Amino acid sequence: MNERERFHATMHYLPRDRSPIYDFNFWDETIVVWYDQGLPRQVDRDNSDDFLGMDSFHHTGVSVDLIPRFDEIILEDRGEFEIKQQDDGVRVLRKKFMGSIPQHVGHLLVDRESWRTHYKPRLDPDSPERYPEDWDTRVRDWTDPNRETVMVLPGGSLYGRLRDWMGLENISLVLYDDPAWFEEMVETLADCIVGTLTRLLETGAKFEACGMWEDMAYNAGPLMSVRHFKQFLVPHYRRITDLLHRYGVDVVWVDCDGNIEKLVPLWLDAGVNCMFPLEIGTWGADPVAYRQQYGQDLLIMGGFDKHILARSKDEIAREIERLTPLVEEGGYIGFCDHRVPPDVPLDNYLFYLETVRKAWGKNLNLKPMHPLEHKIS
Amino acid sequence: METLEIIRKAIIEGQAKEVEQHVQAALDSGMKATTILYDGLIPAMAEVGRLYEEGEYFVPEMLIAARAMKTGLGLLKPFLVEGNVQPLGKVAIATVQGDLHDIGKNLVSLMLEGAGFEIVDLGVNAEPQKFVDAVQQQQVNVVAMSALLTTTMTRMKDTITALDAAGVRGKVKVIIGGAPITQAYADEIGADGYAPDASQAVNLTKRLLAAS
Repeated sequence: MNERERFHATMHYLPRDRSPIYDFNFWDETIVVWYDQGLPRQVDRDNSDDFLGMDSFHHTGVSVDLIPRFDEIILEDRGEFEIKQQDDGVRVLRKKFMGSIPQHVGHLLVDRESWRTHYKPRLDPDSPERYPEDWDTRVRDWTDPNRETVMVLPGGSLYGRLRDWMGLENISLVLYDDPAWFEEMVETLADCIVGTLTRLLETGAKFEACGMWEDMAYNAGPLMSVRHFKQFLVPHYRRITDLLHRYGVDVVWVDCDGNIEKLVPLWLDAGVNCMFPLEIGTWGADPVAYRQQYGQDLLIMGGFDKHILARSKDEIAREIERLTPLVEEGGYIGFCDHRVPPDVPLDNYLFYLETVRKAWGKNLNLKPMHPLEHKIS
Repeated sequence: METLEIIRKAIIEGQAKEVEQHVQAALDSGMKATTILYDGLIPAMAEVGRLYEEGEYFVPEMLIAARAMKTGLGLLKPFLVEGNVQPLGKVAIATVQGDLHDIGKNLVSLMLEGAGFEIVDLGVNAEPQKFVDAVQQQQVNVVAMSALLTTTMTRMKDTITALDAAGVRGKVKVIIGGAPITQAYADEIGADGYAPDASQAVNLTKRLLAAS
């Protein structure tokens, strides 16, 4: 069974040789800390999947985001920190070496005029730069009936990007001060996603999934009300998921950190059926409980508590054992509930990996791990 | 509907212009600023907190209510200063050293201000000494710390240690919050309390100060 067949079987509750083995990658700092714990220095976030024998997703190279990007400019050097204009136009105070989510200190998107001038023109689905120069070659690869890789479509964002571009406080106020403009922005994002996806889907390729990103929840729940979500977002999610469904793409995940309990039924209703990375958090989310609540309609990826990875091997083993029936049922691919943080010892992580390769990967048809000098204690 | 009820309703619904209009009218009619504050603005924000805790309000509703409240408070401030009206307490608040995330901190500040507390905002990436200085120089009686990351939450303990070392720990209540924080962690590092959200941070602060 190849990766493509295995992913499809897993997400459709069909028989398969083993579960896919993925992870949500690592913080930059984790890799650096792990160098001192025995990780070879040639490993970085870009090649860690290969090095650690992970299965992988492949992306189309097509963007549904801002095109062209804004210039990245360092506006002020503050030693360990800097103020930077990012390529999405947002000015942030950030650590030069990642380690914290940056603080927004200024936004280009502040009103209808700045929307019309700076952002809306960058959301044209027909921008040639949105599509890679080697489009024809890629289409040949995507449509190859013998393709073995898992190809994921870009699903974009209807709210998360707006929150990024304006800041939480400003976008929250727009919901009340100028709801028509909020709706226009969401519709424009959806138009860009639908237009771009249409071009991809019309190639005739059979894609395995579509990945959206929102990050619209925190520890206390969603960042907007259920009423607003239904009013402004659901109709446009449906435009996207209806299109995907027409072309046979029935795995649509949304990457959303935080407590998503109130959002899950809304996304399911809108055709977004896979939650990623199902952060456990202090609110105690649990993939097993979610499956009990929503049945097999809900697909899950992630859901392995990062805090457990930082504790003892006994706890890691117990959690793997607890999640194994869900992995075996299908519709669930277990991995860390966010990027693996630096307080997880390499020794623990390698123990986790060795155990899931055996328990979930059945030690069958696994990608090889590069040999490490570090031996699990 | 009586004036104070109109003001309360306008705040709860986030109608800043109405709040401005009716607070001004109340002042013009001779109503005391303290009456408008204690019987209008503060109860309205308490109701916003209740609605938030019950899941009827979300961040946008909290923000527009706080904005409306601030509009009213701006009109009252000259009178409150003139009358030497003291806040319920003075809270030094910041995101701890190494952490730049300020959304949670800002929401807690808004709700505490709406409840009648004075806020000393120490910003983000606040080293322990910054809290110590605030306690020593600005006579705050509550220190509120926020952290988003498991890697930065340890700075909360460092701050408590610094308050101890400076001999001011006994002068303040220390409250903490943020995505990775739990009551167990608050107990472990010797904080006086933990709140899972902005509204409960207000209740916690009131409770701690009432008990002290």
